[in-house]
Amino acid sequence: MNRWLDRSITLLILALIGWAGWSLLHWLLVGADWSVVTTNLPLYAVGSFPADQRWRPLLWMAVLITLTLLTLVGPKRGWVRRWLPLAWIAMAPLGLWLLAGGLGLLPVGTRSWGGLTLTLLLTGGSGALALPLGILLALGRRSDLPVLRWSSAGYIELMRAVPLIAVLFFGQLLIPLFLPPGLEINRVLRAVVAFALFAAAYIAEDVRGGLQAIPPTQREAAAVLGLSPVQTLQLVVLPQALRIALPSLTNQAVGLLQNTSLMAILGLVELLGISRSLLANPAFIGRYLEVYLWLAAVYWLACTAMALLARHLEFQLDPVRSSR
Amino acid sequence: MRFCRHFSLFGALGVLVTLLGSCASLGTTETSRLDLVKQRGELFCGVSGKIPGFSFLSPEGTYTGLDVDICRAMAAAFVGDADKVQYRPLTAPERFTALRSGEIDLLSRNTTQTLSRDAAGGNGISFAPVVFHDGQGLIVPKDSGVQSLQDLSGKAICVGSGTTTEQNLNDAFAALGLPYTPIKYQDLNQVVGGYLQGRCAAMTSDRSQLAAARSGFADPEEHVILADRLSKEPLAPGVVGGDQQMADAMTWVVYALIEAEERGITQANVDAMVKKAEADPSQAALRRFLGVDGDLGSKLGLPNDFVVKAIRATGNYGEIYDRHLGPDTEVAIPRGANRLAEDGGLMIAPPFT
Repeated sequence: MNRWLDRSITLLILALIGWAGWSLLHWLLVGADWSVVTTNLPLYAVGSFPADQRWRPLLWMAVLITLTLLTLVGPKRGWVRRWLPLAWIAMAPLGLWLLAGGLGLLPVGTRSWGGLTLTLLLTGGSGALALPLGILLALGRRSDLPVLRWSSAGYIELMRAVPLIAVLFFGQLLIPLFLPPGLEINRVLRAVVAFALFAAAYIAEDVRGGLQAIPPTQREAAAVLGLSPVQTLQLVVLPQALRIALPSLTNQAVGLLQNTSLMAILGLVELLGISRSLLANPAFIGRYLEVYLWLAAVYWLACTAMALLARHLEFQLDPVRSSR
Repeated sequence: MRFCRHFSLFGALGVLVTLLGSCASLGTTETSRLDLVKQRGELFCGVSGKIPGFSFLSPEGTYTGLDVDICRAMAAAFVGDADKVQYRPLTAPERFTALRSGEIDLLSRNTTQTLSRDAAGGNGISFAPVVFHDGQGLIVPKDSGVQSLQDLSGKAICVGSGTTTEQNLNDAFAALGLPYTPIKYQDLNQVVGGYLQGRCAAMTSDRSQLAAARSGFADPEEHVILADRLSKEPLAPGVVGGDQQMADAMTWVVYALIEAEERGITQANVDAMVKKAEADPSQAALRRFLGVDGDLGSKLGLPNDFVVKAIRATGNYGEIYDRHLGPDTEVAIPRGANRLAEDGGLMIAPPFT
């Protein structure tokens, strides 16, 4: 008797799942009108970048994707692998040059930046600024100098107590009012700095966690070997601490990428912002479901790529596994 | 550890120096913004970028809409090329900041002209003449036969609760002494949903929003926006206050678009009109308007043929309206108060003398 009840419940649930899956599939294939995505693909990628210059952000993203693939599934050793770290570091200046122009390329103002390119640039730029700043804050918080220790701790506590959106509003709306008229800080830069200042506080705590996991005997051993404090930090403490902090740092990076979507309510046309502009086109009004599903897919792809890269890095940094 | 302390200090200093170094150099504030625009050869125009019919991104990646065409007409008049505009998508809270900080030269973003936005003690904006008289309106199904507020007597009307919209609706019906049943919702999407489910005979909101909502309906042509207006929302472009030259130039470009419609000068016939004016010395007013005679343009700090340049780029006001909000568009809004004064609307230009 009981078995029949179990079976019928199982069948019922299976039928429900099947029905939901079928209707979703039916909507995806038949009901949805994907023209809002397909006709605007270049805009999602590069925003309102001048049409004849679109190859520049597209090239940057192509290189980015190539690098990601090379890192994840490329050859395990050889010259390609040796040059990869350098190539990754070169991506930031390359992206800035391709987007902003100069040095032989037509200059393009940040007003025209947008789409996925801007999202990635905001994430990459603020991450690159926040990591060193966060490490410095973490070191400062563990310093023996009271002033440095207290100011670092104060900064971290303050930044963590303020909502991100407040920091962004401050950077985008209030800073321009304080500046004398005529003095204008580029607003993409303002956004990057605001994100970096905010993320640095969180990164500092992640790094501090890593630093605290290093037993003091390591420093003592390094000192006995005759390493200077800087060398100890650079060769012994930080590499281990950062490796321990890496999973939480990945969290921060993924969070940072998603938080860039907040800029849509502050007038930057990054991925979410450009989508809202496209939805205002009378030809595509009411296509919210398609656009937001598409956005979810793009964000998921970008975040998964970042997570995979971080896992790869973790693996590489693991002295036991990578030496095998 | 002593070294690393120094390092963190230097690091912090380095960040500060980089920040300061990246600031732009100081500009002067004495000259008019107009001179700056002409010198730069490009107009920085603040738009919304998210309002159907007024400004949105086309699939080509360019901004389109009525607000955008105002920017284009200005750029054509100021620097001679309607394409020399950099658009800055702005959200409502940052629009005045962007004007005041100089990030944009001109704000053309569905901004309602009000006393406190105009006054020096408020936002201190100089407004141009109104380019779109928005206002609260009502939309009804076409087959209901409702023509005016009177026909809605005793019917149910969907409205957003706790808004000025609800108040205006109440005031309008109270003034007419008509009964009605408000059906209240939290936000516009729910109002639209309630209306589409047939829970009310009409729904009310700003007319531009009604038109945008209607274009998303399955059968948009089955719904009409009534001609009644329950509130006034005059939308006007603006520049930062205290800069008479810039404000005057902007003002008279808008007037030129209206005057051109009054005179029947269109994008298509503007060059023929110029030829006609040049050939016929008796057309004194037309010659002045088109810059064949006189120095009206240079009094504003613009080329004498600024009108011709603007009309060539965007057409007259009526053409701009029809292109983005006319009956053939998907966001069709009846012209109503936006007709010329001679047709019973509010659009009128002072004499070009």
